[in-house]
Amino acid sequence: MRTLYVSQQNCYVSLQKETLIVKQGEIVQGQVQLPLLEQILIFGKSQVSTQAIRACLWREIPIVYLSRMGYCYGRILPIGRGYRQLCRYQQQLTQVERLITARAIVQAKLKNSRVLLRRQRRRQESELLEKVLQNLDRLVSQAATADNWDRLMGFEGAGAAQYFSVFGECLTNPEFVFMGRSRRPPGNAVNAILSFGYQVLWNHLLALIELQGLDPYYACLHEGSERHAALASDLIEEFRAPIVDSLVLWLVNKNVMDAQNDFEYRDGGCYLNDLGRKKYLKAFLQRMEEEVQIDDGEKQPRWHLLTTQVKAYKQFVYNPAQIYQPYLIR
Amino acid sequence: MLLYVVAYDIPCDKRRKKVSDLLEGYGIRVQYSVFECVLTTSQYNELHQRLRKKVKLSEDKIRFYPLSGHTLNQIQVWGGPPVTEIPGSTII
Repeated sequence: MRTLYVSQQNCYVSLQKETLIVKQGEIVQGQVQLPLLEQILIFGKSQVSTQAIRACLWREIPIVYLSRMGYCYGRILPIGRGYRQLCRYQQQLTQVERLITARAIVQAKLKNSRVLLRRQRRRQESELLEKVLQNLDRLVSQAATADNWDRLMGFEGAGAAQYFSVFGECLTNPEFVFMGRSRRPPGNAVNAILSFGYQVLWNHLLALIELQGLDPYYACLHEGSERHAALASDLIEEFRAPIVDSLVLWLVNKNVMDAQNDFEYRDGGCYLNDLGRKKYLKAFLQRMEEEVQIDDGEKQPRWHLLTTQVKAYKQFVYNPAQIYQPYLIR
Repeated sequence: MLLYVVAYDIPCDKRRKKVSDLLEGYGIRVQYSVFECVLTTSQYNELHQRLRKKVKLSEDKIRFYPLSGHTLNQIQVWGGPPVTEIPGSTII
């Protein structure tokens, strides 16, 4: 997905013929060809001119407004782009079909976390890690038998707690300490990168869901509401460990992130600053544009995995007998 | 996605400016009236449609050369920018 990320503050995006010009004061920070663009993510307080917004609406390029942290405030979409057609099918999914899918998603999330930890285990032996792996195994089979959402969410929560209890052990950079997951606000640097990473990925998924014409507010695992695009939250689960968590481990262990210079402390939490955000986005992009082998032996950028899953979900909505298969690391 | 070489010859200044402005959005200018564009089929079709409205074919000439993977590897560039690659995302 060709995306323009405006992560610096006080930028001004304007239209010049077929090109978007991003200026900060008088300095031109970048130019992007509009016909080749797929979406725009604005982090924090940058402006987009009405002419540019109009051009994006014509071209069905969503403009997403996010906080500097990555929290999504809202999006600009053309009025004609709706999900009214597919939405009917989504609403017709039965409780059983939704539960089966929700289970598959939770299982995939747990399995993928397990694979990530197991790969880490190769580097260092740890009794605790061993135990967590066993617990995750158990939770995967338990999730398969959950007969209602509360129990399923229980297993999912237990799995996440187990996983994050040893995630810190995978960090080899002494500058970064991770004792457990904390969010709203993130309590330390590692949590800050995780939170930002999940938000960015979530927004990309949301855009893909929109592009496929699915209603993001109807989901299987998460409870949708008029404010919560639950389908993006459903589809992110299977990708958390393979995309965000593994990237965070790499960024920290390879000393790409700087504990002193890439973060700021405010409002009782720890956040990425301009420098840190840019670093993360750059690494994220690099990873997403990396080519991976897909099922039929072909090579595609990692973006393709996300698109495939959204399309698979769409297929499932049209034909629920064909169960949704979440992404599994192999 | 394919790499297309688009070359034009347009005598009228006004139309030439419009065509070149449009092509600036889809590719990279490698010579005064030659562009290289890496496009999907739908982007390519869109470019065609939009260009069609700007030219007068009784006077203007435009050529589109799609390059297959086979010949893409054999491109030689003497001077000027390197061969256009698939455009990526931009972080600011």
